[in-house]
Amino acid sequence: MRIVIVGNGVAGMEAALTVRRREPTWEVTLISEESDHFFSRTALMWVFSGQMSHRDIEPLERDAYERLGFRRVRARATGIDTVGRQVSLAGGAEPVPYDRLLIAAGSRPRPGPWPGSDARGVGHFVTLQDLDWYEREVHGGASRGGAPPRADAHVRATADDSPYRFREVAAERHGRLARQPSVIGGGLVGIEAVEVAVAAGLRPYFFIREEWFWPIALDPRESRWISDQMGQHGVEVHLEHEIEALETDSGGNVSGVRTNQGRYPSDCVVIAIGVMPNTGWLAGSAIELDERGGIAVDEELQTSAPGVFAAGDCASVRWFDGTRRPEQLWYTARDQGRVAGLRLLGDTPRYDRGTWYNSAKLMDIEYTTAGLVNWNLEREQNWYFEEQGRVRSTTRVVVQDGHVVGFNMLGRRWDHTVLIRWIEERRSLDWVLGHLNEAAFDTELVPPLRVTRA
Amino acid sequence: MDQQGQNGLLSTYREGWRNRSAAGIVVSALLILFYVVLYWEHKVQQHFGIAPLTAISEAAGLRNRWYLYGFLYSLAIIGGAVYYLRRHGNSRYNRFRITVNVAIQVALGFSLPFIMPLFGGQEVYFSYFWPLKYDYLYPQTLADLPLYFALYTVVGSLLAAPVLAVLYGKRWYCSWVCGCGGLANTFGDPWRHLTSKSTKSWRFEQASIHLVLFVAISTTFLIGLDWLIGEDHPAFHRIVAGDHWQYWSIKSFYVLAVGAVLAGVVGVGLYPLFGPRVWCRNFCPMAAILGWVQKVGRYRIKVKPGMCISCGNCSTYCEMGIDVRSYAQADQSFTRASCVGCGMCAHMCPRGVLKLENTWERAEDKERQRLSVVDF
Repeated sequence: MRIVIVGNGVAGMEAALTVRRREPTWEVTLISEESDHFFSRTALMWVFSGQMSHRDIEPLERDAYERLGFRRVRARATGIDTVGRQVSLAGGAEPVPYDRLLIAAGSRPRPGPWPGSDARGVGHFVTLQDLDWYEREVHGGASRGGAPPRADAHVRATADDSPYRFREVAAERHGRLARQPSVIGGGLVGIEAVEVAVAAGLRPYFFIREEWFWPIALDPRESRWISDQMGQHGVEVHLEHEIEALETDSGGNVSGVRTNQGRYPSDCVVIAIGVMPNTGWLAGSAIELDERGGIAVDEELQTSAPGVFAAGDCASVRWFDGTRRPEQLWYTARDQGRVAGLRLLGDTPRYDRGTWYNSAKLMDIEYTTAGLVNWNLEREQNWYFEEQGRVRSTTRVVVQDGHVVGFNMLGRRWDHTVLIRWIEERRSLDWVLGHLNEAAFDTELVPPLRVTRA
Repeated sequence: MDQQGQNGLLSTYREGWRNRSAAGIVVSALLILFYVVLYWEHKVQQHFGIAPLTAISEAAGLRNRWYLYGFLYSLAIIGGAVYYLRRHGNSRYNRFRITVNVAIQVALGFSLPFIMPLFGGQEVYFSYFWPLKYDYLYPQTLADLPLYFALYTVVGSLLAAPVLAVLYGKRWYCSWVCGCGGLANTFGDPWRHLTSKSTKSWRFEQASIHLVLFVAISTTFLIGLDWLIGEDHPAFHRIVAGDHWQYWSIKSFYVLAVGAVLAGVVGVGLYPLFGPRVWCRNFCPMAAILGWVQKVGRYRIKVKPGMCISCGNCSTYCEMGIDVRSYAQADQSFTRASCVGCGMCAHMCPRGVLKLENTWERAEDKERQRLSVVDF
């Protein structure tokens, strides 16, 4: 049996491992344009600052592919022949035939829609090649951890519009490192791009279209704390700024950001306005895409083509509210990868997302959420508590019709599995507040949260 | 204010001296040189006609070079503690742990001159136990010590240390009390990311630490036997406990190979190249025993299921070379024998996935389960 997986990320690797665990002799091939090794994309910011090396963000030892018998193809997949059952590659490489195929090609950064978005000195912060570009702009190159092995092995088999192409670096034209970076887009990748610039000693501009930072997850009170924290670190947070253009100099280097509120000189711009399914290469194939570009899959992650499955950021799966769209999260990619692995083996498990949860770290403030938060449910009420003692934290419990449906927590650590259990048990607010510390996951010696009931 | 987790991004890999650059190699060479001179000063004197450390000690009014060493050691852990707390002091656990450890070591170091007269001029440390302090259970040592200290060292080594490790894990000793651990977690902290996480290094550790433990126990046993029968068997006595440098004996070999070379020259000298726990991880016989005890005790690292993003901060900053991430991404709470409970994995985790705790509530995570990403 020939298993082919397009993508070397968490979804693809989890699937490959699931297959290998049961079938030691099946041929497993992973096609990746981006990298030789599976790495944690969520960890790029720490490689940038020098907190970790490329080796450190790889969960597997470097001999894992050999040891597990995974064949690697380092090239851009350009299409799928679902009749002849093969994946075509860029650069004139031999197509890869499959019996069962998994598409786990992930996301690509959403390009800037403004004039000047492709100027030199403008980039993203999603792929290894983005990291390489941003490090060159700000630090002048990689840390002593070095570059990933065979970093440029794909350049003969790539495409001009690939998210994994190397970008030209404005700092190298200027002959000096970036002094005034700007980051556009008030989400998680945006705040990471800001934080690494701060750690490099810069004072970046942070342009956010909305009224407050990350409105999809935070309310104004929570977000103000994050913004204050950014301000204390020297970030200029510009809320409610609509970008109009990225200005360039005569040499084609970015020179500033023009918004509806003014002009901001800038020599390095990170566009972080979200990601979209990396599925452009499937246009014209028999694989059905939805209007967002996600690969349409059923509950068992089967695509419209026989023997072809999809998992991770590129797959449009069914959410708990009945809608179908991609889930662009590490955990869901991992879970989908495991389900897809079983599908490749011939089992028929269903992918069930369960109650929503997530976590993040916003500058120095840790964030945990579970359930329905910021969904503006009918008759929802938000119980909010701000702790301002030895520990600073915020606790927000969303209540609907007398029972708790969501939690949004900043500053402390919480076991989301306990919070989810309470949501599923339809606990009352009173009961939850009385038991809250049973879900605490704070490090030892941290005094427990004491809520005062208003 | 207590803010959990690592505050601010670290620039570890952008600092050459922390990454085996020429500066790092020079620091390592200087440390090795220092320990070689410290332990073999008589040889240095034979060859070069000077005893540098003794000369410095005398010039500074210290009784011998071991006092100078104590002074430098205290300086190193205090300086290292400042370095550490500036980076990680926002966490209460880190703050308490380092403060207690440094306080114990410095207090003992500086009170030594006052304690020694009470023990007939012997250097004694209440912070060490057999088998780390290999001679504390030698019959001759026990016989020479005041009764209460002899009792302290027997009860401490054979009963208190293991019992505390059952209740709190080996961390109570290795990360809160011990001098080697104290130096590693302060002066050695800049290099903690250099400890190898490879499977190979784990295999080496398991072989080497148990070999040293075997040698330590055998040596103690033979010396006990020598105490009983040595007088009637002079050849046996010479092989086991001959004390002269020119006559090699098992006892002097242990002092040299384990006490001087592994704990000092290799253990500290290689900080800048292989991380600060080379001795503790690979050679310390006390760590080996406490590690066994820890496996059956309450201590564990609890993993919050489903939340790990596999970033690797935990593994990178594990000074014992444990691939914490492999457990975290498999949702597997665990107890590893080598874990000294420094708490850095939980501290570095950006998603609050890890938590050190003492609890009887588990059985399944005693044994390493098959982990999805590492075991096949």
